[in-house]
Amino acid sequence: MDAYSRIVCQWCGNQNTSPTQCSSCGAPLDVKDMVTESGWREAPRLRDLTEIRFDNSTCQVEGELVPVVELSLAQGDEVYFEHHVMLWKQDSVPMRLVPTQGPKRSIFGLPHLITAATGPGRIAFSRDASGEIVVLPLHPGMEVDVREHAFLLASSRITYSYVRIKGLANLLHGGNGMWLDRFVTTNAPGLLVLHGYGNVFERMLAPGESIDVEPGAMLFKDASVTLETEKIQLSSGIFGGSSMYVAKLTGPGRIGIQSMYHHHAGGE
Amino acid sequence: MAGYSCPFCGTASAGDSASCPGCGAPVDVQRKVTASGWIELPPAADLARIQCGRSSLQIAGTLVPVADFALAPSEGLYFAHHELLWKERQVQLQRTGMRGAWKRMLAGLPVHMLNATGPGRIALSRDAPGEMLAIPLHQGHAVEVREHVFMVATSSVTYDYFMPPVWYVTQNGDERETHFPLGMLMDRFTATGGPGLLLVHAHGNAFVRNLAAGESVLIKASALLYKDVSVAMHLHFEYVQRKGLVSWLTAGWNLQRYLWLRLTGPGRVAMQSAWGHHHDPERGIVQSTPATEHYW
Repeated sequence: MDAYSRIVCQWCGNQNTSPTQCSSCGAPLDVKDMVTESGWREAPRLRDLTEIRFDNSTCQVEGELVPVVELSLAQGDEVYFEHHVMLWKQDSVPMRLVPTQGPKRSIFGLPHLITAATGPGRIAFSRDASGEIVVLPLHPGMEVDVREHAFLLASSRITYSYVRIKGLANLLHGGNGMWLDRFVTTNAPGLLVLHGYGNVFERMLAPGESIDVEPGAMLFKDASVTLETEKIQLSSGIFGGSSMYVAKLTGPGRIGIQSMYHHHAGGE
Repeated sequence: MAGYSCPFCGTASAGDSASCPGCGAPVDVQRKVTASGWIELPPAADLARIQCGRSSLQIAGTLVPVADFALAPSEGLYFAHHELLWKERQVQLQRTGMRGAWKRMLAGLPVHMLNATGPGRIALSRDAPGEMLAIPLHQGHAVEVREHVFMVATSSVTYDYFMPPVWYVTQNGDERETHFPLGMLMDRFTATGGPGLLLVHAHGNAFVRNLAAGESVLIKASALLYKDVSVAMHLHFEYVQRKGLVSWLTAGWNLQRYLWLRLTGPGRVAMQSAWGHHHDPERGIVQSTPATEHYW
């Protein structure tokens, strides 16, 4: 055991032997852990060209404004993704379509087929917006729910499914979308990469602890965190009032939010 | 470093923290002034802490920053509802109507504001990459802010708006059209209930400069962020003669027109580097607010 073996990544919990960055999620280890006074932890700003290992492959995050995730896939390693996030690939990388659980997702603008790429070879991904890459190494037995269209790629050891956000209030007034992507690991660890618009923050909610979040800001949550669309009544004196809707998230578990919650085509 | 005075907002402090307690600007960076005199506002340091009354705020994030307020009991702030990012459940929200709702609706401005009252935490963010500027206002001090730039103000700051004297009318046949390069309305914030804090959002980077009395500068109208009340503004048109084939092909519009906002001191002005382009139809101007012009 060397001098650095006790460095624990504050973002993913991995124990590291490198003094500078986490080998599991790429978070810088030699900068201060950024936690706001209200308890939100900033997603680690990955250094340009940060390299992360998963299975027998490597993943490098390049650029800072609209970051690119570049994979060097080892023989037999596979990742899956929505086809429109693919930026470039080598000719030799084979691709195939993976069906999801039915075409009903297409009605709501979500792909019912996802694309998978298998090594060996290089392939790169980016989402068409300024923001942050969030690397979530999933340990065996984890379940994470992700807002629709936020997922960039996942390694094939992670099971992909989706859950419907229940409640008429969400359907009529929520900004969470209709579905949440659910990523589950069983016996083996996997790598999940998300894209958040703007800056990304996370916090742990204690059992029963609740927080109100702008519905479009919710990025990911542990499956144990419940999500409800809730109406806030706004009074305005004698002329009655109106209402607005927020996403009420209740612990226990981890939640992540993004600071730019609606994609702007550009400018004002 | 006792007796530190922030070069960007003027707030005096001991200077022993990493950022100015008035505006969040880092204290350990050198002031950058362009050769033309614009001061580049340093983005608030990540997790910079700003004090406003008994409440405080932290600016978190650098790409799309978040203003994370810790409201003291009975202290409050107001904002447009779409700025809300998250809040603790004990923070009370109340809706306040604005006067001139019809005019504000025509201008595309919110007709209601939300008041949040402490104790508790609440966070706001603007849905675009850029910088968040904290403007500490001393008692009686006022600033005028271009529409859609305002994010949030503490309840000690009074909010009013007015129609800026910057518009012109073009005519095409019987059709007349009024253009508002600066927007139809402009916001004015005044600290009337003691010192207050105003937050505005700049698209891209933000720059400020202090204009001396009588000194003027031309900027694109939509690049203006805010200005002191003492700074006068009016339209300025520049015309460039088209020549040769271009002039023949564009007969009737043989002058290329450039539209500027002239700002004249004394006072402080701020601009943003990413600004929405104002489309000038280049039709003949039949009426306008007081404007100067120049032919090249």
